[in-house]
Amino acid sequence: MVQSTQDADISLLNINQGITCLTSGVLNPQLGYDSLLVGTQTNLLAYDVHSNSDLFYKEVSDGANAIVLGTLGDISSPLAIIGGNCALQGFDYEGNDLFWTVTGDNVRSLALCDFDGDGKTELLVGSEDFDIRVFKEDEIVAEMSETETITALSPMYGSRFGYALSNGTVGVYDKTARYWRIKSKNHAMSIHAFDLNSDGVCELITGWSNGKVDARSDRTGEVIFKDNFASSIAGLVEGDYRMDGNTQLICCSVDGEVRGYLPGGEEMKGNLMDASAEQDLIRELSQKKQNLLLELRNYEENAKAELNTQLKEADGRRGVIPANTQLQTALSVNLGSDSQSAHVELCISTTNDTIIRAVLIFAEGIFEGESHVVHPSLQNLSGCVRVPLTPPKDVPVDLHIKAFVGYRNSTQFHVFELTRQLPRFSMYALSSPDSAAEPLSYVNCTMNERAQRIVMWLNQSFLLPEDAELQSAPFQVCFTSLRNAGQLCIKIKPGGEISISTDDIDLAGDIIQSMASFLAIEDLQVEADFPAYFEELRKVLVKVDERHAVNQRLTADMAEHSNLIRSMLVQAEDARLLGDMKNMKKRYIELYDLNRDLINQYKIRCNNHTELLNNLKAVNQAIQRAGRLRVGKPKTQVITACRDAIRNNNFNMLFRIMRVGTASS
Amino acid sequence: MGPDMEPLFQAWSCFRRRKFSQCSALCSQLLQRAPGEQEPESEYTVFQAAWSLKTRALTEMVYVDEIEVDQEGIAEMMLDENAIAQVARPGTSLKLPGTSQGGGPSPAVRPVTQSGRPITGFVRPSTQSGRPGTMEQAIKTPRTAHTARPITSASGRYARLGTASMLTNPDGPFINISRLNLAKYAHKPKLAKALFEYIFHHENDVKNALDLAALATEHAQFKDWWWKVQIGKCYYRLGLYREAEKQFKSALKQQDMIDTILYLAKVYLRLDQPVTALNLFKQGLDRFPGEVALLCGIARIYEEMNDISSAAEYYKDVLKQDNTHVEAIACIGSNHFYSDQPEIALRFYRRLLQMGVYNCQLFNNLGLCCFYAQQYDMTLTSFERALSLAENEEETADVWYNLGHVAVGIGDLNLAHQCFRLTLVNNNDHAEAYNNLAVLEMRKGHTEQARALLQTASSLAPHMYEPHFNFATLSEKVGDLQRSYIAAQKSEEAFPGHVDTQQLLKQLKEHFAML
Repeated sequence: MVQSTQDADISLLNINQGITCLTSGVLNPQLGYDSLLVGTQTNLLAYDVHSNSDLFYKEVSDGANAIVLGTLGDISSPLAIIGGNCALQGFDYEGNDLFWTVTGDNVRSLALCDFDGDGKTELLVGSEDFDIRVFKEDEIVAEMSETETITALSPMYGSRFGYALSNGTVGVYDKTARYWRIKSKNHAMSIHAFDLNSDGVCELITGWSNGKVDARSDRTGEVIFKDNFASSIAGLVEGDYRMDGNTQLICCSVDGEVRGYLPGGEEMKGNLMDASAEQDLIRELSQKKQNLLLELRNYEENAKAELNTQLKEADGRRGVIPANTQLQTALSVNLGSDSQSAHVELCISTTNDTIIRAVLIFAEGIFEGESHVVHPSLQNLSGCVRVPLTPPKDVPVDLHIKAFVGYRNSTQFHVFELTRQLPRFSMYALSSPDSAAEPLSYVNCTMNERAQRIVMWLNQSFLLPEDAELQSAPFQVCFTSLRNAGQLCIKIKPGGEISISTDDIDLAGDIIQSMASFLAIEDLQVEADFPAYFEELRKVLVKVDERHAVNQRLTADMAEHSNLIRSMLVQAEDARLLGDMKNMKKRYIELYDLNRDLINQYKIRCNNHTELLNNLKAVNQAIQRAGRLRVGKPKTQVITACRDAIRNNNFNMLFRIMRVGTASS
Repeated sequence: MGPDMEPLFQAWSCFRRRKFSQCSALCSQLLQRAPGEQEPESEYTVFQAAWSLKTRALTEMVYVDEIEVDQEGIAEMMLDENAIAQVARPGTSLKLPGTSQGGGPSPAVRPVTQSGRPITGFVRPSTQSGRPGTMEQAIKTPRTAHTARPITSASGRYARLGTASMLTNPDGPFINISRLNLAKYAHKPKLAKALFEYIFHHENDVKNALDLAALATEHAQFKDWWWKVQIGKCYYRLGLYREAEKQFKSALKQQDMIDTILYLAKVYLRLDQPVTALNLFKQGLDRFPGEVALLCGIARIYEEMNDISSAAEYYKDVLKQDNTHVEAIACIGSNHFYSDQPEIALRFYRRLLQMGVYNCQLFNNLGLCCFYAQQYDMTLTSFERALSLAENEEETADVWYNLGHVAVGIGDLNLAHQCFRLTLVNNNDHAEAYNNLAVLEMRKGHTEQARALLQTASSLAPHMYEPHFNFATLSEKVGDLQRSYIAAQKSEEAFPGHVDTQQLLKQLKEHFAML
């Protein structure tokens, strides 16, 4: 390309809006070359750079936070899939949206990957509610919960993919199982899969905010190569930039430094680290040796102590505790008091007179920074430690507990390690059925399951004081939420009819999903009614309509003003050229005033837009929630039907779909 | 017309015969007679019919075809940020002048317009468009009568149409838009359409027109393509091209219309994406095979992109469909003329004459063709006709200028001198005449005079390479190498492929190297 005179190899494109995501690739197979896709807060532009023409320009009211280009599932033509606020949309080269679905929260990252190994690609979606969801076309096939916003996803090979979180975590998943992860105090700016050591398997390359670039093995997370930039990494890409037939890994830093890396040759045998790495290894090994020696000495001391039957106190100091000491944990619901809000209580106790010096709990998503240390002061050391837990979300969590057990005056302690699972709905306390008015909202469904199985599910997912026994077939359990004291009632009638009453539509969805996965139900149609929530949604929909109208008027105003500004600017310049300073000053003063007006108007428009976005997000979330109340095929049907209803502006239809699951009565 | 004729029918008849002021007056009478209701009520009454007819008559009075009228103001030109590619690949943008790729004639043979495009055979609003480099240049250049352009497209011609219509009504405007309840009218589709056109064309109040259209399209449940096109037109006027594109596309999806395609293509041209516009036209041709407006649109775009041979191909296609298409005939004619086939050009111009085009420009062209085709007997008579038909001084100036050419051709330098002088008398902005006069002075040895004339010419038309080049040769002859070099550089900028300039520059560089 022969381009501008100033900088021959840079050509600038002017988009007129803040760019939120960017990708390129073959969108139109007949065209045979790549197109550029530019996403902004409100639009998606597919642009053919070669012939300076648009393929399409689409308004996407949900915004485009992330974009990925490729084929999805059985859809034959390549799609440009954008993730916006709670919505996913896929466009083909003509701008038809062949794919649409909703997801739980704002999408932050997207990737295409053959997740289940069937030869077709699935869509991975990382969102702000810390979840990675896997879509097989418009059906969710898997969900993985992470601990922070997922900022990047990168397919590696097969069903393996890398991810990065906003708290500096980077890791690799294979299907739903996590291979490894590491956490750094820096943020991962960009991740990319690239075979740097030529072993035929891609490594996960990470560009960090401190300017470090490292390549980690996909299996172990071990660093096989690293490099440092002077400033934060802006992005990583691969491509044949030098046009010599070799693909390079190209890293770019924010201050414009670009480095390219060729994959290492055969002779290096995958060993990319230089000599200093070996020294590091030696240091590491010698440290290990030191630790082992220390341990050995401990054992020797203990053996000595057993030989000499000495005083018990001395034993205690050395850290000898009775062999039958056990650590017990119990989870219970604490309804809270005036000073403390309601929480789940983890009680860790020893079986004899030993005391617990400290407890270290590691669990994802409950504590800030994932781990929690309880270190009672010397005066109140006892054999029992109570830890309050308040999981923010209803997900099952594994608690990895390490407790230091010994005597009050011991200097060395025994470490007990154990793992305890926190049930999914631990934040709900059992209450008597008539303790509060039953919620108005309900979900009804029929499952052809024995009641015992459902009771099993209850025992597994809730923290019940004692395991619920199977009562007569129509039976009822009630819970109170520890978060907002909301009521939850589950009724099981003979014939497999189940009714869940709660005002929280999210909770109802979670319960349905959890039940369905426990009972292995593939398709489930339900009838649901959430009067309060639907009323709110109706208000939001009316607001969306209003906002649209206001927005249009504001846009027209703005355009008129900008025309006026242009003409004033030209007039002012004209006056300047003619040397008519008085007039010029007058024009520029007018211009200044008009400009101020325009800025005020802009603020109004901005507010309007933000509210519109929030409302649209709420609508998308409502569709998503309505979908979550169903399982399998009915779920997909509900989401598609809801979208059609919204397109046709038919609110009553929308609510009927949300209630009964189909458009036709 | 009998006195007993039903007045509404009479007004309708006047409207059909395009006697709009008469129609409007009749309607006013009807409206006065009607009992006191000021706004049409729910049912369609005689009153409403008269009201609607008057609106339409007033609109028709000032109506200018919205597709053809297109004026880019200085502000749009200079402060335009709609184009995506700042520096597009050659052949994919309308912004780059002088990137001939279709093998068209060079500027040495075919004169160029201000923008560096070869002149066409047909004057359209867009053929004047040029894209000066800086705001200062943009404001300074159009100080001549030929090239004047409005500050913005929102002022300019539209506003003049609006004010013109105001004058016709001494009692103030027929409809006071600010007092209208637009939502009420939007619910009456039949009245709303007439009212919209009135607001849009007659009052030129785009914002209110847009409001009305938005309400009406909502009332029609977004199913009426006509309203979508109108909303698109409003957005286009407001400079919101992307929004306009959306509306036109949506309208096209509902109803295939040539009009809509033309509007959409206009949007793409404003976005500086001629290739997209071409594709659109070609898709349109699949659905409307042989449609003249589309073919013509393609030809115009090729012409603006300097791809003259493709443009000529499409103009020929136009003629196959419609052999009386003036624009196509004129463009093919001028193309033949500039590619050294004056005889064939002559035939095309004769065809125009046959079709009843009878004006100064045509005879001017005929005269030139006759001269170059060596039919000297007809040459002078044609120019005489042209002179007698000239409507204003600019046209007279052009005729004299061409006569000057003829005089140079036959070697009568005295006549030529006089002709060019007469040109300048009629139009003292005629840069080409200044240039040619300077060359004549040079031959006479009046160096100082020649220099002054050339300087005038180059300041009037900085886009022409001839004055610069002539100035460079002149300065070189008198030994002022520095000035010669500067002028030669300007000449090269205006016409990079000019061999003589390049040689002169080389020569000068050698001189400087020797010093």
